[in-house]
Amino acid sequence: MLEIVVVSGKGGVGKSTLASTLALYLSMRGYDVIAVDADADAPNLHLILGINRWDYEEDYVDAWVATIDYSKCDSCGICADVCPFNAVRYVDGRYYIDSVICEGCLTCSLACPRKAIVRRREVRGKLRLTLTNYGFPLISARLAVGRPSSGRLVAEIRSRAKELATKDSIIVVDSAAGIGCQVISSIAGSNAAILITEPTQASFSDLKRVHSVVKYFMLPSALVINQSDINPEFTDKILDYARNENIDVLGLIPYDDSVPESITFMKPLIHLYPNSQAARALVEITSKIEERIIKSWHTWSRRFKPLKFIPYKPLIIKSSS
Amino acid sequence: MERALVLADLDVEEPNDHILLNTKLENEEPVTIMLPRIDYSRCIKCGVCGEVCDTGAIVAPKGRLPFVIPRLCSGCRACYFACPVKAISEGLRVIGHTYHTRVKLGTTSFDLITGVLREGEEHTPPVVIAAKKRALSIPRDLVIIDTSAGTANHVSIAIKDSDIALVVTEPTPLGLHDLEMILELTSTLGIESWVLVNRYGIGGSAKFLDKLKEVVSSFKTKIVALIPYSHEVIHSYVKGLPLVIMHPDHEVSKVLRYVSNLINEVI
Repeated sequence: MLEIVVVSGKGGVGKSTLASTLALYLSMRGYDVIAVDADADAPNLHLILGINRWDYEEDYVDAWVATIDYSKCDSCGICADVCPFNAVRYVDGRYYIDSVICEGCLTCSLACPRKAIVRRREVRGKLRLTLTNYGFPLISARLAVGRPSSGRLVAEIRSRAKELATKDSIIVVDSAAGIGCQVISSIAGSNAAILITEPTQASFSDLKRVHSVVKYFMLPSALVINQSDINPEFTDKILDYARNENIDVLGLIPYDDSVPESITFMKPLIHLYPNSQAARALVEITSKIEERIIKSWHTWSRRFKPLKFIPYKPLIIKSSS
Repeated sequence: MERALVLADLDVEEPNDHILLNTKLENEEPVTIMLPRIDYSRCIKCGVCGEVCDTGAIVAPKGRLPFVIPRLCSGCRACYFACPVKAISEGLRVIGHTYHTRVKLGTTSFDLITGVLREGEEHTPPVVIAAKKRALSIPRDLVIIDTSAGTANHVSIAIKDSDIALVVTEPTPLGLHDLEMILELTSTLGIESWVLVNRYGIGGSAKFLDKLKEVVSSFKTKIVALIPYSHEVIHSYVKGLPLVIMHPDHEVSKVLRYVSNLINEVI
């Protein structure tokens, strides 16, 4: 079993397009593929794969939310002082806990001198599973709107994927944008990271940030540059970075209007416009992933390991007391 | 009349506004959260600190001394309040930084506040809260908040108490899907939403505009502008120069000016 995670840092640079193409391509090549959409905040892999119903859905109940029992509350305001997330507001003479912001950390319940705050279990989001029209399963999550992000939810769908997997399965994980808990949960324990970026300062800056997280977990990495021709000099700069950082360059995808077009039709680009420039580049890239990463895993994973192990170090300011 | 403007980049995982504005971040301040420090001479190995910790940051097997994994700690202080023998004191850990930069662009200038999460950290809300607080401490007529993607609580915290939410979408199934999620959030928080349809003109736009309109009207809000799909936008983005400066007469620049004027009228 091999678990490959697609990350970019920046949103909208082609993560889901690459992840869906990779899953499709490998599935067509006869691999046992499981696709995982690890962006619980704004899941979209199912849309690209044309899914409008789920075979299975389940509430994921691991969240907490605090509420005030006003028969005990004497409006002392300690809860508002201690809340680390500014979830306690004072409105019209009483304190209330904003259930959207509250992370359910128990701090206010413990600090309240009158024991007036209780914590109750809440649905964090949904786990969903379906068999795609292309013959492989997709596991996805959706966070309850506005609520705390959850690395645990991402870890849960990844472990569900592993339950379905056999020893020859390939799990393709489409991560969320950013570098926070969902992304860290997508990367931790994966086998390989595919980085995708655009040749813009913003996208490159985000790529370097997510790559440093990838390095904390010592994942071997490969790189894809999307829309590489909109800024060729900058593409060269990113290629230099890849060389210095020992990242395998899989290929470049040219700018192509058929990419957004295929998204509006909810059909994979390689099916809708197989002869478009972008589709051809994508097929070449995914075939390299098969040849280099999957078929030659032992050689490839050793060859493209991060050069140095730089562990995460917390920045601690010692207690004054 | 020139307005005193503050731009708050609260996309702390991937802050990009300063890059698009070609500005170096200045006036760094650390964002700290509490890190439990356990006084082992007082600890009675009861395990309560581990039980109340919601993020798995304290490993406290009963009968053994507990220890803290800083990276997982959200700094909530539940352990501090729960410890029956007051063996936990408050250390501090830096999880990110905020910056205050005066941006000069053409003939105008404004304040940019940026929140940046440290690489490897998981908890975004404290950095969003700190950056927002810093932005709101500056005297101003208008604060523009740039949030991260998605609809998690770092977005909720960023937009809470705003007067207007500018909701940017695109005429695709992805745009439609995420639009519904963000409008659900803005309506829950009671924020008036103005929807902008970006990249209007890409394949199937007309069909999706109808669907977007349905969603928008079901939330009793409105589409204020369609931004045409244009290669010049990509070009200006690549060059790192705002389109309104690079191509002031471009159709997209006109739309953006129209929206700014609408906001100006509200002020």
